[in-house]
Amino acid sequence: MGYLKDERPTTIGVEGGWNLGAYHYKGSRLLEEYVAGLKHKKLTGSFCPGCARVIVPPRNLCGRCHRKMDGRKTVSDRGTITCFVVSPPIYKGKLKVLGMDPVEIGLVKDGQVVIPVFVKFDGSDSNTDTVLLNADPKDVHIGMRVKVVWAKELQGSLADVEGVEPI
Amino acid sequence: MRRRVAIVGYAQSHHQHNMQKTREDMVFEVCKGALRHAGISREDLDTVITASTDFLDGRTISSVFVGMAAGAFLKDESKVEEDGTFALYYALMRVLAGTHDIALVEAHTQGSTMNAHQVSCFTLDPQFDRQIGVLNDIAAAALQARMYMNSHGVTDEHLAMVAVKNLSNAAANPWAHRKMAKVSVEEVLGSKVLCDPVRELMMSPVSDGACAVIIASEEKAREITSKPVWIEGVGSCQEAYIRDRDLGRLESLKTAARTAYKMAGIKEPAADLDVVELSEKFAHEELMAYESLGLCREGEGKRLIEKGTTGKEGKIPVNPSGGALGADPVCATGLVRVIEAAKQIRGEAEGCQVPKVRRALAHGQFGMCAQKNMVFVLGGNGS
Ligand SMILES: [Zn+2]
Repeated sequence: MGYLKDERPTTIGVEGGWNLGAYHYKGSRLLEEYVAGLKHKKLTGSFCPGCARVIVPPRNLCGRCHRKMDGRKTVSDRGTITCFVVSPPIYKGKLKVLGMDPVEIGLVKDGQVVIPVFVKFDGSDSNTDTVLLNADPKDVHIGMRVKVVWAKELQGSLADVEGVEPI
Repeated sequence: MRRRVAIVGYAQSHHQHNMQKTREDMVFEVCKGALRHAGISREDLDTVITASTDFLDGRTISSVFVGMAAGAFLKDESKVEEDGTFALYYALMRVLAGTHDIALVEAHTQGSTMNAHQVSCFTLDPQFDRQIGVLNDIAAAALQARMYMNSHGVTDEHLAMVAVKNLSNAAANPWAHRKMAKVSVEEVLGSKVLCDPVRELMMSPVSDGACAVIIASEEKAREITSKPVWIEGVGSCQEAYIRDRDLGRLESLKTAARTAYKMAGIKEPAADLDVVELSEKFAHEELMAYESLGLCREGEGKRLIEKGTTGKEGKIPVNPSGGALGADPVCATGLVRVIEAAKQIRGEAEGCQVPKVRRALAHGQFGMCAQKNMVFVLGGNGS
C-alpha cells in the first residue's frame, strides 16, 4: 500500500491494480483469409450483397443492411488518401508504441516524422489505416494517389503491407 | 402504467461453454432471430438498448462494436451496464415516455474469453477488501449461504435439491448449457467443493450466450402479434454493499418484488403467479428468493424444495427452464429469464412448458451476493 506525495488534504491515494491478465478475444476467421491473400499481394475485402459495399480488411456484418457480408472481392493495391496526419518529429527514447521505441527498432529514423493515412483502395468503399512512406510531408494531400509498399519477403501477415507510397 | 407495453418477440442463443462465434456474430444471430420471431424488420425499430459490461467485453465503450450487429445502424441507441433486465427497464421507460414505440433489447457475455470470477474481484472495495485479498464472488456467496443456512436450519442437502431440480429441468431446455437429466443429490454434494458449502454444481456455469427481446407500445404490439405478453409490473432495488448489509436476507429483492406486485395488482404471489424464473447464481439464492418474493414465509424456503412445490409439476414452478444454474451468460442471464417467462405465457416453452400460465415473474440480478435486483411481472393469455 503506497501513498502519493501530492498534497491531499482530505483524501489518500490507494494503490491498486486494474489488470485482467489473460483475455482471449474471439477473432473472425476473415482475418486469416485476409493475411493469406497478402502473401500473394492480394487485398481481400468483404462484399455486401445488400448494398454492394466492399470493406477492406473484410468484416462479417453489414450494419446498414443488417445482414452477413457473404461475398468476397479482391481490390486493387492502388488507392486514394482520404485523410492524413503528420506527426511531430520522433526522437529516440521519447515514444513507446506497443511497448517498443520506434526509433530503436528501426521503424523510423531519429527525428523523422510519421504520416498515418486512411486509404480508399480502388474497388473498396472503406477507409483502411496504414502509413505513408517515401513522401515529403509537404506534398501529402487528400486525394493523393498511392500504392502499397509490399514487404520484401511476404509472410502472410499484417506486416506484409509496410505502408503506401505516392504513385 | 399510463401506457401498456408488451413483449412481442425474442430469441436466445444455445448457451454453451466456448461458442465458436465472435461476439458480433452471436449478437447478430439473436437480434435477427428476435426480429424474425416478431415478424418485423430492423427498419421498424425506434431504439436499440444493449447490455454488457466493458470489463467482460474486454473493450471500453463496447457497444460501438455490437451496435451494428444489434440492428442499431443510424438509430437511437444506448447501452446499460450489467444485467439485461436493467436494459429492458430502460427500454420500457423509453416506450412509456412516448418517444419511442418499438425497442430492441439485447444482452450478452462470452464467459469463456476471460476468468469471470476474477472480474468479480474488481467489484470489491479497493481500499479495504482488495487489500485484504480474501474475497471474490464465490467466497462471498459461501459466506452468505452459511449465514442463511445457520439462521433457518438449512442443510447442504437443501441446496443440493435446488441444484438437482434446476439441472434436471435444464435437460429439457434446448437452449441451456448444463443439462443433467439424471443428476442426484449425492452427485451434487460430491461435486468439487469450491468454497464450503458451495460446490461446483451449486454454482452457475459461466456460459457464452446472448439474447434479444423486442417490446412495443400497446397499439404497435396489437399490430405485430396476437399473443402480446404484457409487462404488468416492474420493480428495481439495490441494497448496501456486502460489508454493510444483512447478508442472510435478500432485502432488495423483497422491495423490488413488492414494487412490481403493487403495479401488477398481485396480492398473494404464491397464488397469483403461475411460474417464476430466477437468476440464481448459487443454489442458496433460490431458497432465499422464495422468501423475498413472498412465495413462503421467512425461513420456510427449504419447505418448498422439500415438498416439491417449486418443481415443474408443483404448485408454483420455479425455473422450469433450469434457471441460471442451467446457463449463465452473465449479462444475458436476467433477460433470458424474461424470455423464458414470456415463452411460458405464449405456450412456446417447449420441453419446459408448465400448463396454463397467465402470469409469470422474471428476475435479474447483479453484484456480489445479489446486491441489485430487478423483478418483472408478465401477463397474457397467449397459450
Ligand atoms: Zn450492406
